[in-house]
Amino acid sequence: MTDTRTTAKSATPPKGPGALKRLVAMPEFAPMVLLAVMLVVFTAINPAFLSLRNISNALTFTVELGLIALAMTLLMTSGEFDLSVGSVFGFAPVVMWALFNTLGLPLFPAFLIALVVALCIGMVSGIFVTALRIPSFLVTLGMLLMVRGSALWLTSGFPQRTWDAGEQWLAAVLVGDFYIGGLRIYMSLIWFILIALAAHLLLTRTRFGNWIQATGGNEGAARNRGVPTKRVKLILFMLSAAMAGLAGIISSIRVSAANPNSGMGYELEVIAMVVIGGTVLTGGRGTIIGTVLGVLILRLMRNGIVLIGVPGLAYNIFIGAIILGMMALHAGLERRHNEGT
Amino acid sequence: MNGTATPLVEMRNIEKYYGRIHALQDVNLTIRPGEIVGLLGDNGAGKSTLIKVLSGAVPYTSGKIRIKGREVTLRSTSDAIEAGIETIYQDSALVPQLSIARNLFMGRELRKGPRFFDWMDQERMNEVAGQLLKRVGISKDIPATTPIGALSGGERQAVAIARAMHFESELIILDEPTNNLGVAETQGVLRFVREVRNQGHSCIFIAHNIHHVFQVVDRMVVMRRGKVAADDLDPETSSIQEVENIITGEHLAA
Repeated sequence: MTDTRTTAKSATPPKGPGALKRLVAMPEFAPMVLLAVMLVVFTAINPAFLSLRNISNALTFTVELGLIALAMTLLMTSGEFDLSVGSVFGFAPVVMWALFNTLGLPLFPAFLIALVVALCIGMVSGIFVTALRIPSFLVTLGMLLMVRGSALWLTSGFPQRTWDAGEQWLAAVLVGDFYIGGLRIYMSLIWFILIALAAHLLLTRTRFGNWIQATGGNEGAARNRGVPTKRVKLILFMLSAAMAGLAGIISSIRVSAANPNSGMGYELEVIAMVVIGGTVLTGGRGTIIGTVLGVLILRLMRNGIVLIGVPGLAYNIFIGAIILGMMALHAGLERRHNEGT
Repeated sequence: MNGTATPLVEMRNIEKYYGRIHALQDVNLTIRPGEIVGLLGDNGAGKSTLIKVLSGAVPYTSGKIRIKGREVTLRSTSDAIEAGIETIYQDSALVPQLSIARNLFMGRELRKGPRFFDWMDQERMNEVAGQLLKRVGISKDIPATTPIGALSGGERQAVAIARAMHFESELIILDEPTNNLGVAETQGVLRFVREVRNQGHSCIFIAHNIHHVFQVVDRMVVMRRGKVAADDLDPETSSIQEVENIITGEHLAA
């Protein structure tokens, strides 16, 4: 790591081994290697893993959690996290379909209202965290229970009907599909790619992105410089809740059911995706590229171990092991990095 | 002490209570343009509270603050920065994960293109930051894209000072800038402080180490138990022993 430091300080841009060292020091490096290894191993054992059909299937399920993971990355970079995303994932579609079924509202207004409800949930969490200074773990734990409870109470625990929807343009925009060659592509994948790109540019290139990183890196310093740290966090809480709502709605249209129980445990899987990608739980350092890799790693792992004949129930063992391994690796890199200062 | 020019900062009859604790009692402090003032005092003497009041970090109970003759209300640190007062707290001024350039422009990022996209002009920020580092006399060739975490303590102080100078802060408050620094780095920071004065900024220098204060300041102010015990000690004519006696209150006993 000392070498990286000297290269970073030399005036001329580093070439050859220096550039390689910089690549290794990038937070995205470890997840990139892991993903490559997984692809090679799974394909070697079962070539069907790389088939178009399998990839298309894997990608479809990926994006719903992936959308939440993108927003969670930004929120975690600012130093907070949100445990209520799984509940919002279940609640927003319930709201939308209840409005559609019982009030006879057209689908699009119902969709907008559901998103506004999600935004309000995020705003309440954000206000509790920023104004009352309660740790986000506790605030969003409370919110998780309240939102899940509301979804169950509102529906009496029964899934909402979605099959009366018929042909809706909104459904086509959100989850419609088309074929490129033999590859079946869902619209939700296009949305995921666009939103990932926007989130990456937001975090790395815009002023707001600088504020997100500054808020998570040293909140006091950022506030002293006039960065509205509370507003930054509030916006990101709202964004993460809205993304969770959108993901839930997309999922409900795809599976043709709005189940008040859906999304249980998603919050932890999303946080796992984000930290495997190299974003730090305590804030200050976040990477959208890493999160996209983390999303792919978790999803392809679930898909791959089944294809190579490992019982699907063993999935969590692998995910847990990957998290622990990645954290050990990141901690090691971090320690070496800090010793260099 | 020929104060003909309008003082840069005038604090008059400042009172501050923390609950029942009377932290500042009728404090008066004047800073003239281009002056380096050393603020001394034992732990709990009220230095930090006074500085926090002046930097807008804590509200004061009563009193008046005038900047360049104009009365101001400082409700937040951004109010103070707006008024030209920049406080550099040790280790809390910078974000270690971000680059030098991003830290320099934090909260005042340069932008380009349509406002809607909120695009940062990173090339320009890096360029200006590079020039700025040379101006404060960082001799080593450090690219502006280096993260703060990779810099030494003295270099970090230099970056914070450079930032205050770039944004034309008229008063730069340095809170314990030489704490935890090595000998060479301390000399570096003291050099930056002199550079600050040469460029026409005023400075309040808070330090436990009286020797460091003696090396750079024009005037020393000593606080004791929430009051200003002395405010016109000249480092040329007073001795370290005299100043220490005032800090501890020995001169009253004698």
